[in-house]
Amino acid sequence: MQCSKCGNPKVIYKREQSGQILCKDCFIESIEKKAIRTIKKEKLLDKGDKVLVALSGGKDSVTTLEILDSFRQRNIIDICAVTVDEGIANYRQDGVDIAIRHAERLGIEHKVVSLKEEYGISLDEIMQRENHKGSCTYCGVFRRTIINKAAREMNATKIATGHNLDDEVQGIMMNYLEGNTDNLTKLGPKSESKAEEFTTKIKPLREIPEREIGLYVVAKELEVHFDSCPYAMQSFRGEVSEVINQLAEKHPTIKYSTLRGYDKIKNILKNELKKDYSHGRCKRCGEPASNELCKACSFLEELGL
Amino acid sequence: MKFTLKYKQINEEREIPDKNYSIKDLLDDLELSAQTIVSKQNGELVIEDTVIEDGDEIQLVQIIYGG
Ligand code: SF4
Ligand SMILES: [Zn+2]
Ligand SMILES: [Zn+2]
Repeated sequence: MQCSKCGNPKVIYKREQSGQILCKDCFIESIEKKAIRTIKKEKLLDKGDKVLVALSGGKDSVTTLEILDSFRQRNIIDICAVTVDEGIANYRQDGVDIAIRHAERLGIEHKVVSLKEEYGISLDEIMQRENHKGSCTYCGVFRRTIINKAAREMNATKIATGHNLDDEVQGIMMNYLEGNTDNLTKLGPKSESKAEEFTTKIKPLREIPEREIGLYVVAKELEVHFDSCPYAMQSFRGEVSEVINQLAEKHPTIKYSTLRGYDKIKNILKNELKKDYSHGRCKRCGEPASNELCKACSFLEELGL
Repeated sequence: MKFTLKYKQINEEREIPDKNYSIKDLLDDLELSAQTIVSKQNGELVIEDTVIEDGDEIQLVQIIYGG
């Protein structure tokens, strides 16, 4: 067996969807090229951008940082990073430490924001409450709010997240299966919000399968936090992911075709289902909100904070 | 014919059960999915079809987790 590209007999990966067999160097190069192609095709970066990387220390965010850094080295963009510490014992701290080390290694501006400091309660403490809405509900909303705020404070022009092909396809299928057409229109490589307070979000890894990102960080010997959140459990996303992975065993191109199909109908959906977003403000914190209170603040009120 | 398996807290010698015993066979025996694991043979990344040799150190790294 040898590398389909350079003939090196030391191969590390067989790409099911194309039959390609790759050595370490050719594999690494293929991942970086793929992300760069997405960035160019979708015009994710503009010269002079200051990109805030949502850096958890996991494989996806570290890969995002690594790839964007090649643009920084060529003086095309500037990079900064934010890490959200949700306050999950025996889990989060390792990721935070790894994020700090990457930021120091690259010499970029980096900020760690904890839920406890920001809102006076950690995720672990929320989970002690009766009638909580499930860890991931709070985690997602508070994390988004903190990242949006950090983007403004750090004068970032874009926010980069580590969403990979699997995440994106799960999102498409979940929203479709749930009939959530509103959220269905919000997926895609670049989310631009009507409210100017929301910084544009970009997903440079959305065409790269999760497994390939995992192999990339191991091949490049990048330090990442591999572990599962203690609150991760049976979720609808997990079930959808299982079904898609089962289908992908016999149909290795299925994730790509789902993404392509979605990309083709996305604009039609957006135009058809366009909603007039109210330019309201949260009366508690001043963040853009469609109701009196933004999501984060309505959770805080429910929690009596 | 033996090899060393390293996986999370596991660090143990195991018998190679038969000729042409591959990493894929090992993953099946351990009931691990090749989709969530990458494998190293004597410190170098390899594909799952790789046959385990006498004296090998096989390290498995789980790369996909929930959450
Ligand atoms: S699985 Fe854990 S880290 Fe992920 S959203 Fe849920 S609570 Fe947050
Ligand atoms: Zn090669
Ligand atoms: Zn608010």
